[in-house]
Amino acid sequence: MKKRLLKLFLFAIALFIVSVELVPILVIITNGFKKDIDIWTKSPFYFKPTVHSYYLIFSNRDFKMSLRNSFTAATISALTSVFFASLAAFGFTRFDFKLKFLLLIAILLTRMIPQITLALPFYLLFRTLGLKDNIVGLSVAHISFNLPYVLALLIPFFASVPRDYEEAARIDGCKMFGVFWRITLPLSSAGLVVAFVFAFLMSWNEFLYALVLTGPNAKTAPIVINAFLGQYAPLWGQLSASSTIMLLPVFAITLGFQRYILKGLWTGGLKG
Amino acid sequence: MHLFFVLPATVVVMAVSIFPAIYAVYLSFTNRRLMWLGTMKFLGLENYSRMFNDSLFLHSLRLQFTFMALAIPIELIIGFLVALLFLKDFPLSRLLRSLLMLPVYVLPVVSGLTWRLMLQPEYGMLGKLFKQISLGPAAWLADVRFAFVAVVLQDVWRMWPFMFMVLYAGLTSIPNEYLEAAQLDGATPFQRLFWVIIPLIKPVIVTALLLRLIDALRIFSEVYVMTYGGPSNATMLLPLYIHRRAFEFGEIGYGSALGVFLMIVSLLITYQLIKRSMRGELA
Repeated sequence: MKKRLLKLFLFAIALFIVSVELVPILVIITNGFKKDIDIWTKSPFYFKPTVHSYYLIFSNRDFKMSLRNSFTAATISALTSVFFASLAAFGFTRFDFKLKFLLLIAILLTRMIPQITLALPFYLLFRTLGLKDNIVGLSVAHISFNLPYVLALLIPFFASVPRDYEEAARIDGCKMFGVFWRITLPLSSAGLVVAFVFAFLMSWNEFLYALVLTGPNAKTAPIVINAFLGQYAPLWGQLSASSTIMLLPVFAITLGFQRYILKGLWTGGLKG
Repeated sequence: MHLFFVLPATVVVMAVSIFPAIYAVYLSFTNRRLMWLGTMKFLGLENYSRMFNDSLFLHSLRLQFTFMALAIPIELIIGFLVALLFLKDFPLSRLLRSLLMLPVYVLPVVSGLTWRLMLQPEYGMLGKLFKQISLGPAAWLADVRFAFVAVVLQDVWRMWPFMFMVLYAGLTSIPNEYLEAAQLDGATPFQRLFWVIIPLIKPVIVTALLLRLIDALRIFSEVYVMTYGGPSNATMLLPLYIHRRAFEFGEIGYGSALGVFLMIVSLLITYQLIKRSMRGELA
């Protein structure tokens, strides 16, 4: 009896902590279902749900375009990163060569170069190359943080693929690339999915490069969300509704890939 | 043969990270400006010596360290205490644990804007509450001291669950025998905490701290949308200052010098991190 009471007590504390922690997220979601005018004039707890703000953002061409841009940049940068990093992960785990560790560490280190440091040269280079305000250009910038991140994520997955299959395939006359393509890659498919999903998330959440490197054509959703602050009055309803849309894939990934979250964060995946 | 696999990624990383980084170092020795394309002068180390006479830079450096020295320990302590709580068995603990993960991946921009809304004095939830209990000035984000507190608060909200997750994983990996042995020897809960648990998960704590340090060093979006560095530079953390120098004052050369400085600090911390985490991970 005493034990059950203790359990209930612990549960109550934990529930309280989680509830307080989730308040800001609740604020975003509920405000998306309010009108701007109600947020300005009524109490924060006034809640008469309406989809008016959603109606407004989905008739807003700027927001729809930016959502598409976010999706495109995230997909391109995640796919490219997974492609190059999976080749490299195979190379780093299956071969021994001179300066292997040095090269690997050099590649991984680039993940930790602050974005603001790279934003300056990117700006000048992209302006010269005509990649400014271009979704491909933004994707390239995102590859700079995603590729080393994906490589660090993939290496343990590739290292854990049993070598027996690979050796059997080689004895049967398979070339090294065949081994990679037919054996190792399918056997590390879980890792590839995890890496893609987390790289997608990094790019999806990214703001600084989008701010500096894009303009009216290639701007992504976080830029448009911030623009809802407006010149005269912040359009909190639309801002929250569009934020909620952006959070949907984030929460789907966070909850769906729980098993891998720790690995994802441990690899240095805090921010883009 | 290995080149076929390793070379493509190496070339891409050279093109998208290493070359731009070297270009940034080159720019940091010049007076390059954003718009003006006249003669570019080579300044040598002038930009770097200018940094240490730039009172705004020194101010933002101080803010940056204060921010990290405040936010990260608070996140660590909350995360650790909650991790200890979740070690106990109670109903729905798994569900509650996964809900705690949500804030970590919330878009920084969304987090910053939401805090800005909540702190709004006329209709924000926290703003109204603080006004009622007279905690601080009416408009936190318009006050020099409280805007900074708000930035720290926002970061603590988003990032303590990261510390929680990492420490929880570390704590659950401690073999039960150790704790039982300590208990048999008559150790009190506090003794067990300080002499058994903390020493055992020290490597986890250190790695988590290093990761958070690197991350906090490049904080940008949340503060940019929350306060834009203001009021009167009270939240002008280093990355925001670099952004302002380069893209508002158009001083790419000087901005690059500041950027290179930040990069060096970040890489020094990272070096420690990689040394730890790569130990024994490659076959």
